[in-house]
Amino acid sequence: MITLFLLPALACYAASSAGFIADRARGRTRWTGSAAVALGAGAVFHALDLVARGIQAGNIPVASFAESLSFLAWLIALIALVLIVRLRMAIIGAVILPIVTLASLVALMTMQTARLVLPDSLRSVWLPIHVTLAFLGYSMFVLATAVSLVYLVYESKLKAKRTMRPANSDVPSLEKLDRINYRLLGWGFLMLSLAIISGAIWADATWGHFWNWEPVESWSLVIWILYAALLESRLTVGWRGRRAAALTIVVFTVLVGSYVGMNFAFPGKHGGSFG
Amino acid sequence: MAGASADLLMENALFILGVNHRTAPVAVRERLAYAETEVASALQRLKQATGIAEAALLSTCNRVEVIGVTADPDRAEAQVSAFLAADRAVERAAFTDALYHFNGRDAVRHLFRVGASLDSMVVGEPQILGQLKLAYAQAAEAATVGLILHRAFHKAFQVAKRVRKATLIGHGSVSVSSVAVSLAGQIFDTLGDKTAMLMGAGKMAELTARHLKALGIESLLITSRTFDRAVALARELGGTAVPFENYKPYLRIADILIGSLSVTKPMLAHHDVEAIIRDRKYRPMFMIDLGVPRNFDERLNEIENVYLYDIDDLDAVAQKSLGHREREAEKAEEIVIEEIDAFLKWLAELEIVPTIKDIRVSMERLRDLELTRHRAWLATLEPAERERIEMLTRGLVNKLLHRVMAGLRHHDRSSPEAINTAEVARRLLLESNGTTPDAMDLDDLHEDLIEDSGEDDPI
Repeated sequence: MITLFLLPALACYAASSAGFIADRARGRTRWTGSAAVALGAGAVFHALDLVARGIQAGNIPVASFAESLSFLAWLIALIALVLIVRLRMAIIGAVILPIVTLASLVALMTMQTARLVLPDSLRSVWLPIHVTLAFLGYSMFVLATAVSLVYLVYESKLKAKRTMRPANSDVPSLEKLDRINYRLLGWGFLMLSLAIISGAIWADATWGHFWNWEPVESWSLVIWILYAALLESRLTVGWRGRRAAALTIVVFTVLVGSYVGMNFAFPGKHGGSFG
Repeated sequence: MAGASADLLMENALFILGVNHRTAPVAVRERLAYAETEVASALQRLKQATGIAEAALLSTCNRVEVIGVTADPDRAEAQVSAFLAADRAVERAAFTDALYHFNGRDAVRHLFRVGASLDSMVVGEPQILGQLKLAYAQAAEAATVGLILHRAFHKAFQVAKRVRKATLIGHGSVSVSSVAVSLAGQIFDTLGDKTAMLMGAGKMAELTARHLKALGIESLLITSRTFDRAVALARELGGTAVPFENYKPYLRIADILIGSLSVTKPMLAHHDVEAIIRDRKYRPMFMIDLGVPRNFDERLNEIENVYLYDIDDLDAVAQKSLGHREREAEKAEEIVIEEIDAFLKWLAELEIVPTIKDIRVSMERLRDLELTRHRAWLATLEPAERERIEMLTRGLVNKLLHRVMAGLRHHDRSSPEAINTAEVARRLLLESNGTTPDAMDLDDLHEDLIEDSGEDDPI
């Protein structure tokens, strides 16, 4: 299949990355506006690409690793855009845009030209619901991790009294970073929970069991429990700030590890995709 | 009235005379200073007494300056300083040594540097631009600004804007208390739901508390060894006094703790603060130690989500901040120099001789146009009649031109008044050719002033 729109999307993401990074390196906001526009344009091209693929596939385009990666990158780009524009978190652009760019690049390079067809067992209205929820959850976790990284860097600077950013540059305060991390985790957790529920309903409809103890199912349960514990620790003992940021990164590492392990060790129903 | 010297004179027409924080102590500056309401009337008196063409008066706590336009800068210097002495009832000897006097290029440079906050006591502080805009508005109100000052101020505002945009000169903090407040802004997103607690009511702690209050801190607790002092300060700042014997329970609600007690050993034990942080559910605590000797043990900084800065830490941040302003100031100076040349070029072009030439050309063109329009009819006439009409139209143009020129020559040719008249003549008699300066709307200026008073940096 021809990737007509993914290439311009990639170009926009690359330009956006360059803008955010250049501003961050100099502590200015000169390119931030243009970089945000480039990000928005990239997301629009990317959406066109996804729609074109979706129409061809007759369903959500997640038939291959490349398509899944592309869809995930698009969701991350969208949420990043919201954070940057609505919450004035330009700093996150410098961290997340290179990742979005890289993911789109990998997707573009590994995208098969042959048309992929979903197996009949997966053709269902539950597919887009389940996948979108799961991917939204993962995107939130990716962004929460990026926010946590930024938190740790600023926190250590402030502790070491090496802080010297100009007072009115738009670097968010620790409190704001912590709050956004918490919100992203909360939303991500909600999406993950709904993804698991929708997956269970779908499994019941297709195979007659809610839960099959597949590796993906077991691991998503583990991940779900870890994120639940992370949120719980904040609400009860009040682990926030540095500790919450560090734990966010640890849990995300487990998530990535489990994904890599599953896809390359035990390909099951979810194989070839992210879910 | 040699044409060759005219543009030399024009370039020298702007002058500035005054004192600032570097040349005169506050004892002198305060005697020369004008209150905001006195400026307009003072300008009118100044114009009457000295006969200078245009004038504006900038009076701030760091400077008193007369910015004017004249054909004779040397005479103006003597006249203006005599006027200041008489008008402020200060003997001239008290300030002549402190007086600086710039004209031409140097005056333009000085005006631009002042506006860009390069001549300020704290380089890069933002208030000066608002003050300069106010000075312009006052002079406009007193009707003592003309074409040249109008353009000069306009340009100075542009330069200031460009400097602010292209450099980081206005960034960073400078005083210890403003550094403390800016650090608070890096830890906390908003102060609107935070509590600050003052332990000890020292001068610097009070100043910091005022900054925090100005930024909207929700509540302020004050404890001091002398309870009366705490109560008095609490009343003044709108806080709550806490008895010194019983301050400890309040620590757990303090997001910002400012210590300025005189102590012999640090106040809070490590395990106490750890317990407080657990109690606070790990919400960050910013401890500002302004005491010498220090109020808090520096190892408290190691506790999770505690950020402790003592006076030396704050000073170090302030120093770094100023260092960065110096580097930025160098960039700003380059911008100023570029803009001076642009302004002087405009000033030099404001000459009368070209104006007269231009008007003649323009009128000749009109005459040609009319003759061409009627050429069909003219062709039917006898040559002698055509000659007659030719003479008639030329005569008419010459008569009109003569009037205009007489009007222009009424003034000394290179005097600022003549420049103003020439500008008017240009505007009325030439087809619009883009040489008229873009008029600055006073309403816009007014909005700018309001905007500026809002962006008040804590310095």
